Amino acid sequence: MAQASLTAVALLIGMLLVGQLRSQARPTEISSLPAQELSQLIETLGGRNRELRTGLADIREQLRDYRVAESQGQSALDVTREDLRRITAFAGLAAVEGQGIVLEVDGTLDAIALNDLINELRNAGAEALAVDEIRLTQRSVAIQGPTSLLIDGIEVGERFRLRAIGSPEGLLATIERPGGIISQLEQFIDAAIFARQSDGITLPATSLALVPSVAQPVE
Amino acid sequence: MSSRASSRAFAVRPGWAVSIAAALAVMGFVGAAQWNSSVPRQEFTSSAQQVLAAQVLELEREQGELRAQIADAEAEVQRFQAASTSSSVALAALNQAVAEARLAAGLAAVHGPGAVIEIADSQRVVPAGGNPSSFIVLVDDLRDIVAALWASGAEAVAINDERLVATSSIYGVGASVLVNTAFLSPPFRIVAIGPEGLLDRSLAHDAFVGRVAQRIEFFGLEFATAAAEDLTLPAFVGNTRFRWAVPVDGPS
Repeated sequence: MAQASLTAVALLIGMLLVGQLRSQARPTEISSLPAQELSQLIETLGGRNRELRTGLADIREQLRDYRVAESQGQSALDVTREDLRRITAFAGLAAVEGQGIVLEVDGTLDAIALNDLINELRNAGAEALAVDEIRLTQRSVAIQGPTSLLIDGIEVGERFRLRAIGSPEGLLATIERPGGIISQLEQFIDAAIFARQSDGITLPATSLALVPSVAQPVE
Repeated sequence: MSSRASSRAFAVRPGWAVSIAAALAVMGFVGAAQWNSSVPRQEFTSSAQQVLAAQVLELEREQGELRAQIADAEAEVQRFQAASTSSSVALAALNQAVAEARLAAGLAAVHGPGAVIEIADSQRVVPAGGNPSSFIVLVDDLRDIVAALWASGAEAVAINDERLVATSSIYGVGASVLVNTAFLSPPFRIVAIGPEGLLDRSLAHDAFVGRVAQRIEFFGLEFATAAAEDLTLPAFVGNTRFRWAVPVDGPS
């Protein structure tokens, strides 16, 4: 009787403790997120889905081109060549040009701050980025070197230009908004950041060989 | 009789009644804490919040469909390319170049040796006056781990199967984490393929040691690592068509 009672009580305590521990954790259930966070998620996910729809339409256009070439007995050479141009540009293996923004940075930015700035621009829709003449790829991260910041093994001085190709208005609005990345950095970092729109940005290709040597394609 | 029964009861009770009393006290304490922490959440789950949550779920569902359609369409493009390979030497060479570019860009699934790093919210009870957000995985933690992996020679990285490419961002919306287009929940599993010693180098790298390693220690974020001989990472699925950037020179 005594043991049964103790077992029942211990079981109840266990259940309550589990419930309590769970209640301390992040509200991963969507319905338990705060309304403001939900609104931001809706805006962000809505924007991402619009990008995906546009991308899907482009792939379908490419497929139409392949079908037309096939039905007319033509070579798919031109369509595939265009695909290669697109992928190399996306990877950073080809130089690209277009509209965007230029950030002139002067001061002591640390590696975390520079990586945060790059991440923010990517999140705002930057399609291609370069720090001075270093084209950024997925592998490019700023790290603290012996005397200065390094990206892809190349030194970055205290004065540098960060250029981003994308919607000039969208990129600028995102980084300059109140509470945005620039105002956050200016609170903690001793650096001046001046951003402007630009109609003619040309970014070089990366100097890195990006084809992996250890990672192999899944057949 | 009554005296015997009474004395028996008195003799037996201390053995377990004290334990039960203590256990009930703990139950009361935990129950009260549970009640206090659950009531506010219920209060905040207003009808407006339910409407917003439903919209988020709908957008996630829509995104899942879009990504599946993109993956199918990309696979069809590759079928066209593979089918036309035999038609000319020039085309075969071009298709080989496309395959290599896909590999470099993160648009092809890859496998190989590397490292697995898992990080999740702390299981510790937030102390009185403590900041609950210190006890959950933040985007900064993920960015630090990923930066340490790239800086240590990783050739391919994915977070919860979201492959990182040149346009990827790791973004925080409140306590929520978005990688590429996807809303991710903990535990976060970061998988990287790279040369031997990748895991050790990344755990010793300044990018890891400087911030996230300390948060793991101080706040008890759940953390586990393993080196592995053969890991598989999926291809990136998403928009790879630029709207604003135009290639300057086509590859020869």
